Amino acid sequence: MASFDDNTQFVIGMLRECGLAHKTIIIVLDEFHRFAQGKQRLLYSLLDAMQSVTSQAVVIGISCRLDADQLLEKRVRSRLSHRKLLFCPPSKEELDRLLECLLSLPVSSSLPQSYIVEFNKELRKILADKKFKDTIDTLLSSDSTVDQILRFLFLSVSSMDLKTGILSVENFMTAVVRMNRQPKLECTKDCSILELYILVCMKRLEMREQVSYNFNSIMKEYKAIHDSFQTPDYYARNVCIRAFEHLLQCELISFMDNRRNNQSIEFRPVKLLISPYELHQGLKLNQSCPTILQKLMDQIGKRS
Amino acid sequence: MISKRVPVSFPARSTQINEVLCHLGPLNSPMLPLFIYGGASTGKTSIILDTFRHLKRPFVYSSCRTCYSPKVLFESILNQLAFHKRVEENGYVSVKKCEKPSDFANFLRESLVNVVDILKEKGAKMNVKKTSAYTWGNMVYLIFDDFELVREWDKSSTILPFLFGLYRMLGLPEVGIIFLSKVSPDSYYSNSGHIEPIPLYFPGYSEKDLREIFMQKQENSERYSIVLKPFFRVTRQVDELSIAFRPVYEKYCQLLNDPGSNFSWETKQKREDAKKRLYSHLAPYIRSSLNEVFEISPLDTEAKADEVKGKASSKKRGAHDEELDFHMSVSAKYLLISAFLASRNPATLDASLFDPTGGLDGRKKRKKCSEKATEQKEMAEQELLLKGPGTFPLERLLAIFQCITSVEDISVDEEVDDDDGAPVVNQVAQYDLTSNVLLQVSSLCNANFISKGSSCPLEGSTRYKSTVSEELAMKVARSLKFPLSRYLFRR
Repeated sequence: MASFDDNTQFVIGMLRECGLAHKTIIIVLDEFHRFAQGKQRLLYSLLDAMQSVTSQAVVIGISCRLDADQLLEKRVRSRLSHRKLLFCPPSKEELDRLLECLLSLPVSSSLPQSYIVEFNKELRKILADKKFKDTIDTLLSSDSTVDQILRFLFLSVSSMDLKTGILSVENFMTAVVRMNRQPKLECTKDCSILELYILVCMKRLEMREQVSYNFNSIMKEYKAIHDSFQTPDYYARNVCIRAFEHLLQCELISFMDNRRNNQSIEFRPVKLLISPYELHQGLKLNQSCPTILQKLMDQIGKRS
Repeated sequence: MISKRVPVSFPARSTQINEVLCHLGPLNSPMLPLFIYGGASTGKTSIILDTFRHLKRPFVYSSCRTCYSPKVLFESILNQLAFHKRVEENGYVSVKKCEKPSDFANFLRESLVNVVDILKEKGAKMNVKKTSAYTWGNMVYLIFDDFELVREWDKSSTILPFLFGLYRMLGLPEVGIIFLSKVSPDSYYSNSGHIEPIPLYFPGYSEKDLREIFMQKQENSERYSIVLKPFFRVTRQVDELSIAFRPVYEKYCQLLNDPGSNFSWETKQKREDAKKRLYSHLAPYIRSSLNEVFEISPLDTEAKADEVKGKASSKKRGAHDEELDFHMSVSAKYLLISAFLASRNPATLDASLFDPTGGLDGRKKRKKCSEKATEQKEMAEQELLLKGPGTFPLERLLAIFQCITSVEDISVDEEVDDDDGAPVVNQVAQYDLTSNVLLQVSSLCNANFISKGSSCPLEGSTRYKSTVSEELAMKVARSLKFPLSRYLFRR
C-alpha cells in the first residue's frame, strides 16, 4: 500500500511523461464537493501539478452543489480557472422530446415491423392527449430532473399489459399515483385505535402550549379523556407503552433529542412529526377510527 | 411466467405481489432499484423471498440486522457471490477481507461479472439441451433487508449514499437491487443527497385481512371472529396478535369441546344464542388478556401448576401478579430498594427517615392544605412526571443500604412451607459492605435496574439513577417483608 506522497509523486511523474509524449489527459472528479471536504490535499497536489508540470491535462469537476467552488480553500481556488458550466433540468419542450425519444421503439430493432409501427402510433396518441399532458406537468412541476422522469417511465412501462404489448394511458396514471406518495398519511391509516388515541393526546398537549411533554404526561391526558368521555378504550400502561413504541418505529413521533442519555422511554420528551392537517386527514381515512377522536380533533381544529 | 401460486399463501397481499412481479418483469429484464417499505410483520421479507424462490431467480440476501457493520455486510455479500461458506474447516474466514466501500465496489463488480458469466454459460448449455422446463436467466439480485438499521451505523452518512448509488456505480444491467425497510424513504434524506430508488408500500392489514390470515388454518371461521375485534383496537401487527390469541383460543376450544354444553348451529337464532354464550364465557379472559403485553408465557410452568395443585391453581395464578418472577440475591434486593428510595426521596429527608434513634415521625403535624399548598403539590407531581427519577451518588446508596439492613428485624416466617412441611426460617444477617455486595451494584447496573448518569458538575463523581417502577420495588420489598411504604416520601 503506497502512501499519499508516493502516489502524488507517481501522478506527477506520469503527467510529465505524457506531456513529453504529447498525450492529453482528462481527469474527471465526480462528486467534486466530497473532495473539497477536509484538508483538500488531493485537489491541491493535482491542481499544483497542472500548473507546474508541462503537460496537456485538464481537470473537470462534477458536482450537484452549485457552490462547490466556494468550498475550496484559497490556495486551491487560486489555481482553478473559474469556468462553470451549469446543467439545468430539461425545459418543457425538451421534456416532450425526451419522452418521445425514450419511449418509442427504434425502427431498426429486431422486433416485427408491424408491432413497432402500432406501438409508436399508440404512443404518439397518448403523448398528444391533453389529460396526459396535464398529469405529467403536475408531476414534473415538483421535480423535473431526468432521474424522476426515468423512474416515472420505468413504473409506467413495468405495468404494461404483456399480452398486448402496447402502452396505454392507464399505465401512466398508475405510475403517477405510485409516485405521489403521502407517507405520513399511509402510516396513520395503518394505526390501531390505541395509537390514534396517543396521537390525539399529544396534539391536545401541544395545543395547550406545553413546551415539552413525555409519555407520562400523555398517559395523564389519556386518563383525563377517559374520565370525561367514558370511552371504552382504556388500556393498561404497558400496552400503551407498546403502542407508543410502534409509533416511534414508524416515525410518526420522535424524541426531542437524540442523545440517549440513559433515561427510560417514559421520561424522554417527545414531539409529533405529523402536522394537524395530516392527522385530521389520517383520522378521516382510518376505517376504524372512533367518532370521539374525530370530535376531539375538530375541537382542536377550531381552537387553533 | 407469473403464476398464481404465490398469492394463495399470502392473503390480502395480491396487489403488492402483483406490483413486485411487474417491477421484476419477465426473465432477463433489467430493473431500477426497488425500495419496499411497510410496518412490521406486513410480509415484506417473506413475500420477496418466496417470490424469488418461486421464480427460481438467483439472489443474494443479506439482513442489516445480522450484518451489523459495513465490514460484515460487505463480506457476507462477497461470500455469497463466491459460493463460499464460513465453516470450521476454513476457520470461519471470509473469501476476501473488505472494510472500505471503495474496496467493496471493486470486489463486488468483479464477483458480479463472474457470476453473470457463469449464469450465461450455464444458461446457454441448458437451454440448448432443453432438459428442464426452467429457463436460465442471467440476472442476479441483491436484497438488503432491515435497511433502516443502516441509519444508526457509525459511518451512515457515507454508507447510505454509497448503497443507494450502487446500481448506477456498477453500471451492470444484469444486477437488480432491492431494499426492504420498515421506515419510508423520506427518513433517509440527508444533506449529501442520494439517488432515490422506486418506492413500493406494503400497507398494514385491515380487520378483514387479519381475519383471513388467522382463519387460514381453522374451519368454521365465523365463530372465531368475535375474538378478533377487541384485540384489533390495540394493535394490528400479526406477530403480536398471534401470540395474544393462543391462550384465548385454547379457552375458547375448551368450551366448544366440553361435552356438557350443547351448542347447535342449525338455525340462525340458535347460532346467535351460541355466539352470545361463547362470548359471555370468554369475556373475562379477553378483558384480562387485552391488558397484558402479549408475552409468551412459559407453557411448562403453567402445566406443572395445574398438575400439582388442582384447586389452588387458580388462586396461584391470581397471586402470580403479586410475586416476583425472577430470582435475586437478598443483598441485591436490598440494594434495589435502597436505590429506589434514593431516587424517590430528596436527600434532605435521609436523616429523619433513617435515624436509628427515632424512626420516622417527622410528620407529626399535618398542615392545613391551603390553595397554595395544593398548587405546589400539583406542580411537584408534574415535575415528577416530567423529570423522572432523581440521581444520587454511590455513597448515599451505600449509606441507605447500611441503614436499612441494620434496622431489619430477624423474623421467623411460619407460613412458608417447603416440600417436607418443615418451617423455613428467614435469616437476615448484618450485612457488612463486603466486596461481594459492592459487586452487586455493578450487576444491577448491567441489568438496567440502576443506570449510570452523567457525573455531577460540582463534585465530579458519577451519579446513579434507579430505573425500576414503583410496582417492581413494592414486589421486591414484599418478598423481603420490608415496609417500603413507610420510607417513601409522599408529597
